Amino acid sequence: MIENVQDVSLSQDIVYGIAASPTFAEDGICFAAQRSGLYRSDDGGETWRFAFESLDLENTLPATSVQVSPGFSSDKSVFVGVPGGILRSVDGGDTWRVVVLRSPPPSVSTLAISPDFIHDGVLLAGAMEDGVFRSGDRGKSWAAWNFRLLDLSVLCIAISADFANDETLFIGTESGIFRSRNGGRAWEEGGFSTELAPVLSLALSPNYARDETLFAGTETHGLLRSKDRGQTWERLGEDTIAGEAVNGILLSPEYPDTPYLLAAVGASLFVSRDEGQTWRPWKERWAPSHGVTFVLAPQGLEDDDPLLVGLVGGEVLRF
Amino acid sequence: MVRSEIERVVFQPHTSKNLQRGINIIVNAVLPTLGPRPRAVAIDRTLRDKMPEILDTGGTIARRIVQISDREADAGAMFVRQMLWELQEDVGDGTATAAVLFRSIYNAGLRYVTAGGNAMILRRHLEAGLGVILDTLDDMAVLVEGDAEFAQIAQSICYDRPLAQMLGEIFDIIGEYGRLEVRKGRGRGLQRQYVEGMYWEQGVLSRNMLFNDNGSRTDMEKTAILISDFNVGDPRPLVPIVAWVMENDPSSLLIIAKDLPPTARALLLRASEASEDFTAIAVKTPGKLRQSQVAALEDLAVLTGGRAFTEAAGYKLSSVKPEDLGRARRTWANRSNFGIIGGQGDPRALREHIRGLREAFERGGDTSDRRKLRQRIGKLMGGSATLFVGGLTELEVELRKALAERTADAMRAAIRGGVLPGGGVAFLACQSPLQERWEQSTGSDERAAYRILRDAVETPIRIIISNAGYDASEVMAQIRMAGTHKGFDARTGEIVNVLEAGIRDVANVQKSAITSAVRSAALALTVDVLIHRKNPEKTIRP
Repeated sequence: MIENVQDVSLSQDIVYGIAASPTFAEDGICFAAQRSGLYRSDDGGETWRFAFESLDLENTLPATSVQVSPGFSSDKSVFVGVPGGILRSVDGGDTWRVVVLRSPPPSVSTLAISPDFIHDGVLLAGAMEDGVFRSGDRGKSWAAWNFRLLDLSVLCIAISADFANDETLFIGTESGIFRSRNGGRAWEEGGFSTELAPVLSLALSPNYARDETLFAGTETHGLLRSKDRGQTWERLGEDTIAGEAVNGILLSPEYPDTPYLLAAVGASLFVSRDEGQTWRPWKERWAPSHGVTFVLAPQGLEDDDPLLVGLVGGEVLRF
Repeated sequence: MVRSEIERVVFQPHTSKNLQRGINIIVNAVLPTLGPRPRAVAIDRTLRDKMPEILDTGGTIARRIVQISDREADAGAMFVRQMLWELQEDVGDGTATAAVLFRSIYNAGLRYVTAGGNAMILRRHLEAGLGVILDTLDDMAVLVEGDAEFAQIAQSICYDRPLAQMLGEIFDIIGEYGRLEVRKGRGRGLQRQYVEGMYWEQGVLSRNMLFNDNGSRTDMEKTAILISDFNVGDPRPLVPIVAWVMENDPSSLLIIAKDLPPTARALLLRASEASEDFTAIAVKTPGKLRQSQVAALEDLAVLTGGRAFTEAAGYKLSSVKPEDLGRARRTWANRSNFGIIGGQGDPRALREHIRGLREAFERGGDTSDRRKLRQRIGKLMGGSATLFVGGLTELEVELRKALAERTADAMRAAIRGGVLPGGGVAFLACQSPLQERWEQSTGSDERAAYRILRDAVETPIRIIISNAGYDASEVMAQIRMAGTHKGFDARTGEIVNVLEAGIRDVANVQKSAITSAVRSAALALTVDVLIHRKNPEKTIRP
């Protein structure tokens, strides 16, 4: 059931990313990064307000990605990728500090935050032509770490839930997937064929450290799964979700015990209840006006859990 | 080949005895360096007023022995020297192990041949036995990953904890093929620096092209790159290229060429002065020999998505079109180097190109060719590391630098091929399959080969124990009682599980050491005649 449809911006807008407070169930705080800027909601996505107000901008500043600190309830930290840099807020988006990345201005496409951010302060930013930037000081300073990264067009990042111990993360690029096992300082190629790329979305099992499982959504070759840390891959849902761009993959927080998956495929959402073997439309006869660009399930994938869906056109739907 | 007069021809039984004497001289010189508690070897300097050189690595000791005065034994000594030098050049370590294995195999083999065995057939069986050893070592090898494991490997090679930790971190970043330069540093300690992007060892064609950092360097963004070995005579075809770049998206132009005439250089300088938003410079084509120039241009073309123009292929400056130019997010140059950060070539083509270079590297071949291939791959890996080695004295710095370089070579081998239980335990574990083969053997030469190898693989651990000041026979008895993966920790004098104690050897180094030892000893056993020249050339190269 659609609880609210909030058009947060211009007709030419697009939602690049959504991030929610770790205590979303209690505080309902979430952010939407859009071409027209950043928006904040304090009521679980029902109403939104422009979060770049304090910047007093003359022109539109696109927000290309957003991440919220795992310790948001106390540190109030929010990070936003913008053309040429990263914006950092320590008051929940009321005020911002700008960190300019080295010139020529990189186009930040994706941000990822360490699950252990409270202790390690690690953030990673992927850029369209400049590879990966890493910060180890809570976003105050950033440096490029592209050792052995043979493709600098970074489209998505997925970070291990056990990052504090395994320091593992993956990035999807124009030509495939790269893995880092040292916290994003150096990269290695896996077994993902370059013919299947570009890789638009990645998701790691919450138990990646044990089950070594990850999923990759591609632009034209559907969804793939690896159960051996990215060395070998198998296609999933070839009869239902192949052929369209997979813009997002969500896994149940209890995966694989609860083997639920949700994928944003083209203009639709699909769900699987069997680790990705079979898929069905998320809601029968649900057809959004525009393509789905981003999806977030802040509390999980059970039927009554809230779902935030970003669309081409700038809408964020809350279900 | 240098022709010189023959002085004397030596036949058996003198041949083998003379060879054996020389072999023993070199091996005895190297033997004290085996193990974590090696004893040093002092070698006189060529200048008498200098202190003797103190060495603890087999390869370097062998390298310093250019000739021994006993002409009859010299051939044997140089035979071992050549083997050890090549081993050190190839994998950076394992020379002392190879030396003791070689001596054991040669001496036992010689006894067998002297007693009537057939050296040629023995050689064949020794090489078959080598296969058994290599298979056993392969089964035991485990891959290493992460800075902590890399540091542990480095420690087992260099026994220098700060250096090991630094190299552990560096190799975790740069990887097996990564580019590492070891330089003399300031101060007493170690420092490291990571450099983003790739760079080549050629600088600007004119000092006037250095615009930043007080005229020491030029940094450029969004660069179009002309990749060539042109020795430009007529600068006129350069004008449309410069004009096109100035009018289009790139904000700078990097010309790679053998040389440009003063008029062309002036054109680039004027273009740079004419616009604050545009810079154009020229750097010299990298590589000294034609082959290395072509390789560098090929790498640059793939990296930047440009086209490599060579004069040998008939190209001229007038052949270049705007779409032939490579692109990079950033470039830089100084008097000695130029670099590229964020080359904008097709990543799929780059990955394929590197895969091809890796395959060529792994196919083997000449050490020098492999080193060049590794350097090419390293240049394309997105960054490099520099390790600065300091010290109290020039000598200390030089020794530690050499140690760092040697350890780095062995670490590359460790990342590639994994590690084995160290301290001679892996070789000791080969005794069991060799014993099985010995029991299955029927011919006397085959049985002799397996017996010789079975005994030889025990020698490294025995020497390590002896070098640490313990009774080898007594400790060996304790090790045999203790079981699998148990060995001797020469630092503590205890019997330990060597893997748990962090005592590991680089698999590829150990495999190279046993391969060199078996093949060289088997070959040496077949030598029947020695011919001495009257005035042999002295050389420091093998």
